[in-house]
Amino acid sequence: MKFDTIIIGGGLSALTCGIKLAKAGRDCLIIASGESALSFNSGSFGLLSRLPDGTAVEEPLKAIEQLPSSHPYVKIGIDNTRRYAASAKEFFADCGISLRGTERNLWRYTSSGKMKRCWLAMEDTTAFVSREDKVGDKALIVTVKGFQDFFPGFVAESLEKKGISCRCESIELDELDMLRSNASEMRATNIALTMEKDKIRKSFVKEISRIRQDEDMLILPQIFGYEDTRALEDIRKAVGMPVTFISTLMPSVPGIRTQKMLKKAFEAAGGTLMMGDCVTGAVIEGGKIKSVLTSNLGSYGLEADNFVLATGSFFGKGLASDFTKIYEPVLGLDVDASEKRDEWYSSSFFDRQAFIGFGVKTDNDLHPSRDGEAISNLYAAGSVLSGAESLYEGSGAGVAIITAMYAADKILEG
Amino acid sequence: METKMQEKNISANELEQCVKCTVCTAYCPVLKVSVIYPGPKQSGPDGERYRLKSSLFMDNNIKYCLNCKRCEVVCPSGVKIADIIHSARETYGRQIPKVRDFILASTDLMGSVASPFAPVVNAVTGLGATKFVLDKVMAIDHRRTFPKYSGTKFETWFRKEAAPVQGTFKKRVSYFHGCYVNYNYPQLGKDFVTLMNALGVGVDLLEKERCCGVAKISSGMFDTARKHARINIASMEKAMSDGRKVLTTSTTCTLTMKDEYPDILGLDNTSVKDGIVLAIRYIYEMLEKGEAKIAFKEGYRARAAYHVPCHMEKMGLSIFTRKLLKMIPGMELVSLDSNCCGIAGTYGFKKENYARSQAIGKALFDNINAVNPDFVACECETCKWQIEMSTAYKVKNPVSILAEAVDIEKTKKLNNA
Amino acid sequence: MIPAQTTNDFDVIIIGGGITGTGTARDCALRGLRVLLVERDDIATGATGRNHGLLHSGARYAVKDSESAEECIRENTILRKIAAHCVEDTQGLFITLPEDEEIGYGLDYQKQFIDACTRAGIKATAMDPREAIAMEPSVNPALIGAVQVPDGSVDPFRLCSANLVDAKLHGAKVLTYHELVEIIREGDTVRGVRVRNKTTGQTSAYFAPVTVNAAGIWGHQVAEMAGVHVGMYPAKGALLIFAHRVNNVVINRCRKSADGDILVPGDTVSVIGTTSTKIPFEECDDVRVTPEEVDLMLREGSRLAPSLMTTRVLRAYAGVRPLVSADNDPTGRNISRGIVCLDHEKRDGLRGFITITGGKLMTYRLMAEMATDAVCEKLGVTVGCSTATTPLPGSESSDIKEISKKLWKMPTIAQKASVGRVGTRASQIKADDRFERSLVCECEQVSVAEVRSAMDNLDVHNLVDLRRRTRVGMGTCQGQLCACRAAGLLGKNRLCVKKEREDLASFMEERWKGLRPVAWGDALRGAELSAWEYSEVLGFDKEDEQ
Repeated sequence: MKFDTIIIGGGLSALTCGIKLAKAGRDCLIIASGESALSFNSGSFGLLSRLPDGTAVEEPLKAIEQLPSSHPYVKIGIDNTRRYAASAKEFFADCGISLRGTERNLWRYTSSGKMKRCWLAMEDTTAFVSREDKVGDKALIVTVKGFQDFFPGFVAESLEKKGISCRCESIELDELDMLRSNASEMRATNIALTMEKDKIRKSFVKEISRIRQDEDMLILPQIFGYEDTRALEDIRKAVGMPVTFISTLMPSVPGIRTQKMLKKAFEAAGGTLMMGDCVTGAVIEGGKIKSVLTSNLGSYGLEADNFVLATGSFFGKGLASDFTKIYEPVLGLDVDASEKRDEWYSSSFFDRQAFIGFGVKTDNDLHPSRDGEAISNLYAAGSVLSGAESLYEGSGAGVAIITAMYAADKILEG
Repeated sequence: METKMQEKNISANELEQCVKCTVCTAYCPVLKVSVIYPGPKQSGPDGERYRLKSSLFMDNNIKYCLNCKRCEVVCPSGVKIADIIHSARETYGRQIPKVRDFILASTDLMGSVASPFAPVVNAVTGLGATKFVLDKVMAIDHRRTFPKYSGTKFETWFRKEAAPVQGTFKKRVSYFHGCYVNYNYPQLGKDFVTLMNALGVGVDLLEKERCCGVAKISSGMFDTARKHARINIASMEKAMSDGRKVLTTSTTCTLTMKDEYPDILGLDNTSVKDGIVLAIRYIYEMLEKGEAKIAFKEGYRARAAYHVPCHMEKMGLSIFTRKLLKMIPGMELVSLDSNCCGIAGTYGFKKENYARSQAIGKALFDNINAVNPDFVACECETCKWQIEMSTAYKVKNPVSILAEAVDIEKTKKLNNA
Repeated sequence: MIPAQTTNDFDVIIIGGGITGTGTARDCALRGLRVLLVERDDIATGATGRNHGLLHSGARYAVKDSESAEECIRENTILRKIAAHCVEDTQGLFITLPEDEEIGYGLDYQKQFIDACTRAGIKATAMDPREAIAMEPSVNPALIGAVQVPDGSVDPFRLCSANLVDAKLHGAKVLTYHELVEIIREGDTVRGVRVRNKTTGQTSAYFAPVTVNAAGIWGHQVAEMAGVHVGMYPAKGALLIFAHRVNNVVINRCRKSADGDILVPGDTVSVIGTTSTKIPFEECDDVRVTPEEVDLMLREGSRLAPSLMTTRVLRAYAGVRPLVSADNDPTGRNISRGIVCLDHEKRDGLRGFITITGGKLMTYRLMAEMATDAVCEKLGVTVGCSTATTPLPGSESSDIKEISKKLWKMPTIAQKASVGRVGTRASQIKADDRFERSLVCECEQVSVAEVRSAMDNLDVHNLVDLRRRTRVGMGTCQGQLCACRAAGLLGKNRLCVKKEREDLASFMEERWKGLRPVAWGDALRGAELSAWEYSEVLGFDKEDEQ
């Protein structure tokens, strides 16, 4: 079976690339071995929050000039990076995903109450222009009774440092409490599913009004908007005061919703999704991939003119490691990684970890190589790339989106 | 090559590849409607660590798993979650199947008893009083529409009507028809034979075909399932000895014979695994390679909504159906959102599961109603029962859709058949 | 329950909250003494919690050291009765592999081994390879012979905690997180101790006619503080934990003891170990496992059970054995692994000071009995020891099913798991409502109720302590979800969020310490996921500007 482009991977980068190509009329196949890291997303995308030397970044598109030449943003050209970054909001809006962002990094609350920078915020994430911004002076922090994956105490402590007085309450509704009769499944996503029902949301809002005293701001966990953002908008309107949503432990409601919406946009544009299958190898001839093989289809090859590798980092199995080495497991591509296991990690869990920066080697057009030989119809995109310490820099989503757009354009140009 | 130290992480059904990401819990159709089920993470890899210590830690509520395998499709770690759950039911559960489960699981036995009396059985199972008895005594839900038993078994029809001419074809395949085609819906088998013959391919049945075993596995009758599986493997081996393939029209039989035989029943099926091919894939590949040609009827028009059955999703073969159906001029194929219909074989027949089953399927039914197609395209027979019972739409197997859209005489000529 | 002492005067002060210290505290308390136990960290932080958790049958020592072997089998039999909820009767195999023959440990040695076991009173039954494989399918199928012995596994955290609970039930006062700053001496008599509360920084003095040094390898420094010398030799032993139970029967090698020759199933995991390397005293507080040790454990371990080659490793850890010269010889030429009980009055002329050290987890009760006998002799108390017959709290029954059925109509998996951890004391875990029954730790089946009960009753000061009491964070995810949830609960109970935030960070650092030496494959995938979750979602990272 032949496609114009086959994309290996099903996360943010793969879907961005696939949607762009499919919308341009290309016959695209996405092969994804399971759900992606989007499922744990914080409700926001980062472009660049910190430079490799530790300098904090206010204006990411200015700061990229200071990145080393090995960084994907610099590899594809600073102007290209700026152009793609500027088009991102519109791109996602076309997929039904509305994002907020400016040329300056915004601030969002994490679930421990600490603020972090972000580039684009999803609708469930309240983002601030300055970290000193205050929505109000008295916060009502509300959670669902029995929900263990959100920490009102942590949030309150942080807000109180800013001079915002806080009161923590939990709401008990029969329908929600039902979830708790299962010992493990009162998770953000399952609550959000229950909250899809108008009736339950109404009772929840009623409870909020009942317990509200003189508070002028409301803080809620990200437990609204399972299928779309309808429930989220509804809550925002109904509570009658400004709401700040804060991320929960995984799985992430905004992340999973975004993943679903991107998949829908891809299929709506004519793309084909193969979920739960895994590319096991490729036929490479004359420096080009002819076809790829998957575990479901066995020896039946899937052919395409171009291929995109957007398999993610270790979690997504874009990179793999064993006792002795780090390697690219799908096609056996060349990688940038230390050969000494001791150098993969820092001694502190919270320090920057070298292994997160490892990835496949590419030229400036994002063509990876195998045994030193570039593969001319293959592009790598997203966190499988080397050169970005995504977690430390806060560049995970930015690299995923921007390199995917670049790869798609290269394919369209070609 | 021998595995080097820590090069791979091997454990039963990839239990240890789980990194506790919780993604499976967000896509489990049972969890969405029910809190009794402990969920794929707890029932699967989490629970298994405790069960390995002692069967004392077996939670019998893991039986509410539908075995739809959606958890496995979304798992980023390759954990065979549903296989862990179903293997645990055999290893740690003490189950003596209830009469009801025995009856539901014996799709073959019941079929061969019922078929000669089809009109009577169909009438009786449709009667209020009978349903009342089934419901109260057997705990088979009274709201459930029973699949009709056909008067003539597919095998009987085949021997009489089709078998004599198959010798005229040089290229041959064997057909694993499954209990459903044999007892409940021989038309699908007939469509298959007509289509294959038109494409220039002769069809034989296996020397011995037994129920693939899926209903037995889900009702805990592992030993019977194993006995039948061994017979099927041996028959298929024999059929494949001349290099031919064994084609199927049922997704679940296919998945069971290819994956569950080794993963749940612990049987070695390597000799036949690759030779079992879903008909739709086989046909696509033949056309692709130019080994056969196809001509469609002029003026065929249809708007079909394609529901990918869970097991089709798991096997990743829906691309073949899509490509094939899109070849039909005049076919408008609408993709339905990926959802489970809720029946999961015999699961939805059990009284304790009926409400859950219908609740799970609701999203799909709503989706179908919103699309309002001419009919639903779907490869799975139990999805067909469920959708036809729960909506006003007919469900057709893609093989039947093709047989309907193809100009048989023209195609025969193209293939010199 | 006897109320704890309110003044600063006691009959006996015990230094050290390991198994020897808590065991001695219990024995002294049972004999009616007014006991104070001081520990600079949590209980079971030293060698107690850093070994195999093997309930030796004694077979390992039968050929070379019949005295240790007899001690072991006696204590083995006693612990099965008095510590039923801490012990699992797994049985053990001593296997002979083809390569053992070449170095003189073939089947002839096996005969010698069985004879020695029999002489020591250890039931040892020879098995042919087929029987051994049937009994333990994971065993190396290349084996040429095996011997079944009554080995088992013992959970050191539970054992230590149960001893402490009983000591407290009998009036003992316990001060964890109190660091010893001085041993108060008057002339040639030890009068008591001065300790500093590590949380408040406050220093207090406590007095007793007898002080027992039960500080394990740190007993070396404690003795120095008292002005006497005990020649101790820190011997590091490294171990690896596999992520699920690979074996259900303990597997040993039937030959001279060597590195990595014991594989013990314990709760939801299996543990391989160990090594023996002398290390300087300075390293005792922070022992780390080297890549070479990991390599060695995996290589040797896969000779016991070949599947270890491809089994996920959960973490690596190391403990320090308190080895000591047995004969008062300060040169340390004659190092023993046996029990050493020193009356410093007899040995050094220092009155009111006893050191109890050496020995092993297995023989802690006997060590406690010896130390308590010495204490009683000094105090002129004649009450006899009853620890060999009195079950520890929670060990009145060992039948998880039976206990659970008595407590709950339809026990959940987590409730049964709780019973496995605390025995009959699970009656204290209420779990009446839905929330109480819900899971904090999904991998290890720890409920909110059990966490709360541990916080209320088991001297839990932080998340790491909680882990030792309940297994929160000991499972596959290593704290990815459960640590946050537990921190949430702890923070709520204490109304001290800031502390909980720090607590959570140090818990994850502690997990990372054990994970890092084995972070490859799926462990590295898991670590990456945790790193993202903690940094991006929870906002835990070292940010320069905040």
